[in-house]
Amino acid sequence: MQYEAGKPAIEVRDLAKRFQLKQKAPGLRGSWQAVWRPEMREITAVSPLSFTLEEGDMLAFIGPNGAGKSTTIKMLTGILFPSSGHATVLGCVPWQQRRQLAYQIGSVFGQKPQLWYHLPADDTFRLFARIYELDMKSYQRRRDFLVEAFQIGDLLQTPVRKLSLGQRMKCEIAASLLHSPRLIFLDEPTIGLDVVAKQQIRDAIRTLNETENTTIFLTSHDAGDVESLCRRVIVVNHGRIIFDDKTSVLKRQYLRRKVVDVRFADALTEPFTLPGVETVKQGTYGVKLEFDSRQIPVESVIQQVISGHTCNDINITDPPMEEIIREIYAV
Amino acid sequence: MLTQLRLTTTKYGAITLTNLQNQLAYIWDALGRAVFIILIMFIFVQLWTAVYQSQNTTEIAGLTLANTIWYFLIAEVMELGKIRHDTRITEEVRDGSIAYTLVRPYNYLAYHFFNGLAEGGVKMVLIFALGLPLVLYYAGSPTLTWAHLPLVLLVMGLAVLLDFFVLSIIGLLAFVTEDTFSFRLIYQKLVFILGGLMIPLDFLPDWLQGTARVLPFNLTTYAPAKLFVAFEWFQFRQIVGLQLLWLFIFGAVLLWQYRVMTQRLAINGG
Repeated sequence: MQYEAGKPAIEVRDLAKRFQLKQKAPGLRGSWQAVWRPEMREITAVSPLSFTLEEGDMLAFIGPNGAGKSTTIKMLTGILFPSSGHATVLGCVPWQQRRQLAYQIGSVFGQKPQLWYHLPADDTFRLFARIYELDMKSYQRRRDFLVEAFQIGDLLQTPVRKLSLGQRMKCEIAASLLHSPRLIFLDEPTIGLDVVAKQQIRDAIRTLNETENTTIFLTSHDAGDVESLCRRVIVVNHGRIIFDDKTSVLKRQYLRRKVVDVRFADALTEPFTLPGVETVKQGTYGVKLEFDSRQIPVESVIQQVISGHTCNDINITDPPMEEIIREIYAV
Repeated sequence: MLTQLRLTTTKYGAITLTNLQNQLAYIWDALGRAVFIILIMFIFVQLWTAVYQSQNTTEIAGLTLANTIWYFLIAEVMELGKIRHDTRITEEVRDGSIAYTLVRPYNYLAYHFFNGLAEGGVKMVLIFALGLPLVLYYAGSPTLTWAHLPLVLLVMGLAVLLDFFVLSIIGLLAFVTEDTFSFRLIYQKLVFILGGLMIPLDFLPDWLQGTARVLPFNLTTYAPAKLFVAFEWFQFRQIVGLQLLWLFIFGAVLLWQYRVMTQRLAINGG
């Protein structure tokens, strides 16, 4: 089936995945029983899901651990066969036309390496160029573009095992983009990275979307990724969609709380309080504050913190995804 | 058509070349591991010299002591140089990296074959090179003629392919069972006993020899080693025929298994 421009990049209808899991009671007796009379339990990783994603859109597909995000990605990339339902990705049924689809999609799994560990990233890049049947001229052009976008020019000749996590992740993502995929699945692309590396990766992904109209399908536990990249958010929990709307709506309703961790140079002698700000935790040299950023701007809180104390470190984060989902359920 | 053929050749060639670079990055490590062959061959030489002396004979089942020593070097080269992709497939399923390797535009098993070819090739060359001086010292030059060498190399190639098919069947079981160690262990032991790795099939009792010769295990190890030390046209034709027959059988099993296993692949969790 040929993909027609203007059609949704992803169309999912009642897609579900169930696994059979072997159960074992604790202890030796349980192990013995599991050998002779194994008890199987069916778990539903993904309950029937339906959604569409337009070409050029940037979707955050988020949820807590075990929500079924990665399983959904694996079905949409063709690795897993669904238990029921139907999906097309760029006009292909992923699990039936996996190879045909592979030329058009890219995937990044933040916790799994794809670069050859003992070789410089450039060697894996060349290998991917051959695997995706790129001619050397367009490969070189594409490589140069990605080197600039991800600022990895000085990393490509170093064996991957010698790179830091942030450096490696930038190379991992660039490797997945060499064949100019029209759709990218990003599964936790910024996990474990520092603020600078996260920002560089987000900027590069945004550039790709703006310049090449690349469709982005992102899963992340980092609310910052969602906020800064995606226009639309789908929240799944226990394999079901519990929120599907614009990021601005999610932000207005649920991403309003901010967490600020402060390390002071001097010991605190009395309880730390700021009006409208909750002091979650206080130690001798630090506090953890939480507040509603709609009521008090982040700059105002920081200003008040640094005006009275000398600070060694300040860290601003969003509440964890689990907390946001709890809030969605609470509404 | 020609362009597609060129792209496919380049694609799989690049996979082999990349792994070759990877092997060369750790060549000293590989060399260190291959040195073990010197000890193995030294033990074989002492053992079989004692056996021939105790029998007070220069030939057992048509093989001289020199033939037997050469036989074991080639058998070890075939065994230790095998493409061990079954363990890699198992690891891919366990750590989830199959999410990358299965979704690229190539044939998944062909990827593993050409990937393993570099690793196996390097190991074969190292083991042969390290074992050669000792074997030349104790057994002299091999009796194989230059004219027969390409035919023996053909049998070796088919042996590598046949072994790859069997290990692919074992590796793909990981899609469902997640662990394939026990299957691999059984296969290794069968090759050890019925494949001629422990003892050339010619030395086995007749009833066991007859069975072992038609089974696939000897075709990966014994067959190339035996033809290397004592080439016979009749045996060559028989071996190649059996290799092709088993390749056809295992190939059909693989095609069916791949279709079924990819549908049942279970990697839940991130």
